Amino acid sequence: MSNRISAILALLIAGAMFVAALLFMQSVHGASSALRAAAPVAVARQVPIDSTRCIASTVYMKSHHMQLLNQWRHDSVRKGNRAHVTSDGRRFDKSLNTCLGCHASNPMFCFMCHEYANVKPTCWNCHISPMEATR
Amino acid sequence: MAGLGALAGIGAAAGMLPLFALEQTDMSAFSESPVPGKVRWGMLIDTRKCRDGCSGCVVRCHHDHNVPDFGKSKNEVKWIWKSRYEEAFPTASQQFQSPEVENRKVLTLCNHCAEPPCTRACPTEATFRRWDGIVSMDYHRCIGCRFCMAACPYGSRSFNWQDPRPAVRELSATYPTRERGVVEKCNFCSERLVKGLLPACVDSCTEKAMTFGDLNDPVSEIRALLASNETMQRKPELGTLPSVFYII
Repeated sequence: MSNRISAILALLIAGAMFVAALLFMQSVHGASSALRAAAPVAVARQVPIDSTRCIASTVYMKSHHMQLLNQWRHDSVRKGNRAHVTSDGRRFDKSLNTCLGCHASNPMFCFMCHEYANVKPTCWNCHISPMEATR
Repeated sequence: MAGLGALAGIGAAAGMLPLFALEQTDMSAFSESPVPGKVRWGMLIDTRKCRDGCSGCVVRCHHDHNVPDFGKSKNEVKWIWKSRYEEAFPTASQQFQSPEVENRKVLTLCNHCAEPPCTRACPTEATFRRWDGIVSMDYHRCIGCRFCMAACPYGSRSFNWQDPRPAVRELSATYPTRERGVVEKCNFCSERLVKGLLPACVDSCTEKAMTFGDLNDPVSEIRALLASNETMQRKPELGTLPSVFYII
């Protein structure tokens, strides 16, 4: 009986590994074809991205997102340093789009709080806000 | 155990796909601090290949970057446009020029000079020369003084006299717009370069009249073309060292 269970488990694991290998190969192939299409342009080093959790705690982000966004802008626009590394070692692109990648799933995310706090940031004078993008 | 790890990896991969991507960025957009001056992006425009009457690159660029169209030449905003030969090269010899060349339209854009006069004029460092040779704009810092427009000898900069948002024909969600009171210009598609893509104008040209590449790389395609052709820069006597070259 236990033999049978272990056989099924082994089969499952082998299957999962096969799928993972396929995914990996596909990603490698995609990257190389993109490289070939734009031969003269140097492609930045690729690193895995983990956006299952926010870059910092909710408490910190609530009080410091404006300073963080200013710092990100300075680093990426002026220094070309686009990689943000969190304290637990995850890497993110220093871009407003990184934030919007998740938070724009609620188009009111920024507006609700800014409305409540009566602050009027100028972000959306130029950047396309989630409200406009979903309109 | 390895299989379970792989399964967990797939879970993470599914989670990392953004639910709602506005201005799309991808994984290739990550880079450590680049070495200043290692790369110098440049462009070579073959005016012989550029078809008369075609404005595909202009339309594509202005659409992708949300460049407003106010409908009047007085407050025109442009990143890339076509000029007459004598307008593009006013200091080049015009005497007894071939009528074909004289009437030829020349594609003009920001030259991304190695010695840019505009960045010297800017009092807030809103415009600056980047580590890769691109003369960039930080619209957040621009106070609209237009010193840079006066300093640029190529007319590559435009000022937003009005709110540009309503004047953008079709809003492209992949790039921000500007606001009233800021100067704007070509950015050599730095937002595309970071993803490993060629500039939109180069990408859109059906005649392959534009070549983009690293001028500091001696084995790049653009350097090979520069070595094997007679080329021109706009107003070279000013010493601005433009990164945009022309084959006439």
